[in-house]
Amino acid sequence: MRTVHTSFNDDVGFQIAPMIDVVFVILIFFMALAAQIKIEQILQTRLPGQAVTQEAVEFFDEQILQISQDGEVALNEEIYDAGVRGALPSLTGTLIRLKAAGDAAKSRVVVTVISHPDSSYARTIDVLNALAVAGIVDVTFTTGEEP
Amino acid sequence: MASTAGGEGDPEFQIAPMIDVLLVLLIFFMSIASTAVNRYDPSIVLPVAPDAARKEDSLGELVFNIAWKPAEDIAVTFFEERIVEPSNLVAELSKRVAADPRVRVLVRSDGETPVRYVNVVVEAAAKAGIAEVTFAAVLR
Repeated sequence: MRTVHTSFNDDVGFQIAPMIDVVFVILIFFMALAAQIKIEQILQTRLPGQAVTQEAVEFFDEQILQISQDGEVALNEEIYDAGVRGALPSLTGTLIRLKAAGDAAKSRVVVTVISHPDSSYARTIDVLNALAVAGIVDVTFTTGEEP
Repeated sequence: MASTAGGEGDPEFQIAPMIDVLLVLLIFFMSIASTAVNRYDPSIVLPVAPDAARKEDSLGELVFNIAWKPAEDIAVTFFEERIVEPSNLVAELSKRVAADPRVRVLVRSDGETPVRYVNVVVEAAAKAGIAEVTFAAVLR
């Protein structure tokens, strides 16, 4: 009786087609992931800290920015952009002039932001955005709860 | 007269350059999806700041994610993928400053979060001696 022998080659070698399939899948995964990424920006502030100096330090005028619970913004107790949501054009203009005056007098402009504890963080960001436009980075924060 | 232009005129599909291009694309997209993504909570809806600056690098960045839960009327603060009470982190932050004076705090918070939760983080940073505090925002 005649027997049929089927021979298999164990060494099939490197297969390029499945590798390309896998690479494509990984590529599509990372492309989809990249599409989800949002580019974030930052608003930079510098808190006051301790500094050791060898020379006398000139004192600076502190500007007070208050944010009420309903989002009303006041600079040195004067209300700006009442009823405006988002950008604060009037406050921004004032801060730009304030910074220019500080630079001309060679003095630092330091702003203290006093936000009502229940005011929204977005409103504080609006104020920080106005400060960023004016180029003011020396900012301190105080909560309304403090005495 | 013999022609100097060689070749068959109809080249076959070359697999090797295609693989090269594929791998370059793969590496590009992998580098975009950097390890920093793990520190950012994508569920947080950042406030809009049209004039915010571009972030140059993430060196020494200590990221605080503050997620606002309107249904429960609370905000939860995450630091390095764990829920924290920022006022209890002053000692840990102080150690980070001692190890690397260039550290800075990045606050990522929902726009609707009451500012009291953000202030706690800023206060902890100030107590730890971290002067550089940045706030994440989107342009639009």
